[in-house]
Amino acid sequence: MKNQDKNGLVRAIIGKYGNLIGLIVLIVLTTILTNGTFFTQRNLINVLRQVSVNGILAVGMTLVIITGGIDLSVGSVVALTGVIVALIQPLGTTAAIALTLLIGAMIGGWNGFFITKFRIPSFIITLGMMTIARGLALVFSKGEAISGLNDSFSAISESYISPVISLTVFGFLCLLIVFLYVKERRSSGYERKIFTFNFISVLNVMFIAAAIAVLVWLIGFRGMPAGVAVFLGIAFLGAYTLNQTRFGRYVYAIGGNEEASRLSGINVRTVKFLVFLIMGVLAAISGMVLAARLNSGVPTSGVMFELDAIASVVIGGTSLSGGYGSVGGSIIGAFIIGTLNNGMQLLHIDPFYQEIAKGAIIIGAVLMDRKKK
Amino acid sequence: MENPVILETKNITKDFPGVRALDSVSFQLKKGEVLGLVGENGAGKSTLMKIFSGAYPANTYDGEIFIEGKRCILSGPKDSQRAGIAIIYQELNLIPELTVAENIFLAREPTVGKTGIIDRKKLFSQAKDLLDRLNIPVPPEEQIKNLSIGKQQMVEIAKALSYQAKILILDEPTSALPEQEVEVLFKMIGSLRSRGVSMIYISHKLDEIFKITDSVTVMRDGKTVASRRTPELSRQEMVALMVGRNIEDMYPKKSLAAGEVVLEVKNLFVSHPFLAGEKVVKDMSFKVRKGEILGISGLMGSGRSELVTSIFGAFPADSSGEIYVGGKQVKIRSPYEAINYGLGLVTEDRKLFGLVLGMQVGENITLSCLEKLSWHQIIIRSRESELINKYMGALRVKARSAETVVNTLSGGNQQKVVIAKWLATDPKVLLLDEPTRGVDVGAKVEIYQLMNKLAGEGIGIVMVSSDLPEVVSMSDRILIMHEGRMVKELQKNEATQEKIMFYATGGK
Repeated sequence: MKNQDKNGLVRAIIGKYGNLIGLIVLIVLTTILTNGTFFTQRNLINVLRQVSVNGILAVGMTLVIITGGIDLSVGSVVALTGVIVALIQPLGTTAAIALTLLIGAMIGGWNGFFITKFRIPSFIITLGMMTIARGLALVFSKGEAISGLNDSFSAISESYISPVISLTVFGFLCLLIVFLYVKERRSSGYERKIFTFNFISVLNVMFIAAAIAVLVWLIGFRGMPAGVAVFLGIAFLGAYTLNQTRFGRYVYAIGGNEEASRLSGINVRTVKFLVFLIMGVLAAISGMVLAARLNSGVPTSGVMFELDAIASVVIGGTSLSGGYGSVGGSIIGAFIIGTLNNGMQLLHIDPFYQEIAKGAIIIGAVLMDRKKK
Repeated sequence: MENPVILETKNITKDFPGVRALDSVSFQLKKGEVLGLVGENGAGKSTLMKIFSGAYPANTYDGEIFIEGKRCILSGPKDSQRAGIAIIYQELNLIPELTVAENIFLAREPTVGKTGIIDRKKLFSQAKDLLDRLNIPVPPEEQIKNLSIGKQQMVEIAKALSYQAKILILDEPTSALPEQEVEVLFKMIGSLRSRGVSMIYISHKLDEIFKITDSVTVMRDGKTVASRRTPELSRQEMVALMVGRNIEDMYPKKSLAAGEVVLEVKNLFVSHPFLAGEKVVKDMSFKVRKGEILGISGLMGSGRSELVTSIFGAFPADSSGEIYVGGKQVKIRSPYEAINYGLGLVTEDRKLFGLVLGMQVGENITLSCLEKLSWHQIIIRSRESELINKYMGALRVKARSAETVVNTLSGGNQQKVVIAKWLATDPKVLLLDEPTRGVDVGAKVEIYQLMNKLAGEGIGIVMVSSDLPEVVSMSDRILIMHEGRMVKELQKNEATQEKIMFYATGGK
């Protein structure tokens, strides 16, 4: 009996925190193998930056996959928007950013339009867009990287927000999250307390505290890299939208049962259209952050980014059949992939083997997810 | 002359969670006869057939099956096939892109030696022999998708017989057939009977039962209540056997003085979603008043569900006609608009259309009314949980908490969640399509009480139901539909189950 309880607890922890535990094990392992090089402020900030580009995509991909769709075009859209924003630098940084966001929205909207209006599977439409956007990126750039970006533009990835400001904003955000959490607990009366003291909840708090501590330590180094701040802001917005807004609720409902959602009065087409439009905008943001980091628009960049984003979402526990998942999980997934990439680079493992290792981890994560159910 | 018994069951009892679907059923089919199996929806006919087909394996029920006097354990579809049982379902199991011959010999095609390469010559000639023997005028090279439904059905029967089937079960075989193909089917049934094939013929259409069966078995509430030679029964007797039961107190109907008209439908026609020119609802006109429960009765396929889903703007085909809500003419193009006009639709199949099964009870309840619980896009949690608690309490939804995933609830509680979802939208008119299907008796009574209460609060209720006692007892007025048309309107005091069944089966 006692033993069974223990098994149940272990299963509950693995079910809920499997990917997080995986990430921690991976971090510890990488730190040991690299003799500590991995877990230095300089390298971790590097990891954060690398994760940001994929992480922004993973947030959007979470929405897409929860509705039961997929977007294969994001990697190419990253390249295309990177090239475009580099080409239109003379318009001024603000105008260039605004215009590129608009183009991202148009590409996402195009995908969404065909998917909802003609009921074509998202796999097909976005597969087409994947090669169209790649082709356009090569056409516009004549196949070459476009350099010479405005300094003010490169700043969106390369500059650091001063430690004082970033810590203030970060602290404020933490308080806001605690406030929202407490409010939600309070409001739903059904025999719930704000905090129940048990093994899992203590574990929860420990994880969060550790994450905050690491982040504060990293900010203390030189401040928050602007690109990372963009990513964290988008992650927060994404999680908030999914959990606290009507739109987010509809996203889950449509993924869970599209027909029942329609009969419940949800405008299924509009919601799906918006999800793909948002994905397009996020791909443009990701493209700009990457361009700023590379200080050029590179038409051959972003190859396989869609797969990294999808892998992050799947490792994060979101179901490919839709209806279930979370932004938080996808971010953990993005960090697992980021840690893996960075660790293997530090260890000078042949990039070819890196691909194999990544694939194995994706399959492993999904298998674990199946076991859970 | 008395034929030997070919298929016999003894004391078959099958339970589902909360429901006894079959209650020690004993059943006999004689060699070379056509036996009509009749009963209301939910009487247990399809459960019994699923036991014969092996879909419910032998270890999931109690009782014994004998075929030609020998005890048989049917643990799966393969066993049934070997025992010589074949079922032709309403939904045909053919692959449209393949040819007739390929369908008949699917997964056992003649091959060239042991190479695995299909011997197409042999395949087509074997199929041709079979079709000729059965007098089926279908070329074996034709693709299934080019055949009429009737011809497809014949191919399926040929396929079944090619497995040496001795017992053929036909489940509502004429429901999708046009008149002239029905005649062809009946001829074929006649010729199969003369070859000694035994058949079980399931149908709601009593005319057909009288026309082609030799004997009839009536099922009700999971039991076989009568087995007779067909000529010994009159239509009235048969209907009485199908519906006869006495549970008055199950239906706590209160009648109210009906108020003003809340919903009026005038000359509504609804097109068939696939067949051009066909109509599934023809010229329906009716009114629903405040506080009134209007029952709509009819057999499966009579257009009942199509009627209500089309009023709700959810049927995927064109319609014409006028709809008035609260006296004002409205044009409803989507469920969203219907909800805004004050309509709610409790759909027939809650798992497919009513609930998002993976979501929480509370999230399901507020799915249709989130707009009024939000500040712009942001859901106001306190308001949401207040509403959830109110309806979970009012409907006595039995769940651990509002956060329980709805999938884990019993059928009755799931149905309450669906109803709660619609009540939360403050509807003026509630359309209920089979509101108590798959719900246990206790929850049924609760749902009836709730309907009374809602009517008392001034909601107009339209209840589509194939549960006859329910329709008779709970409705103030009953419309009976047959083949898309309203064939009769009965007032509460004149309605009986027999009368409804009489009109619903096409009686005049």
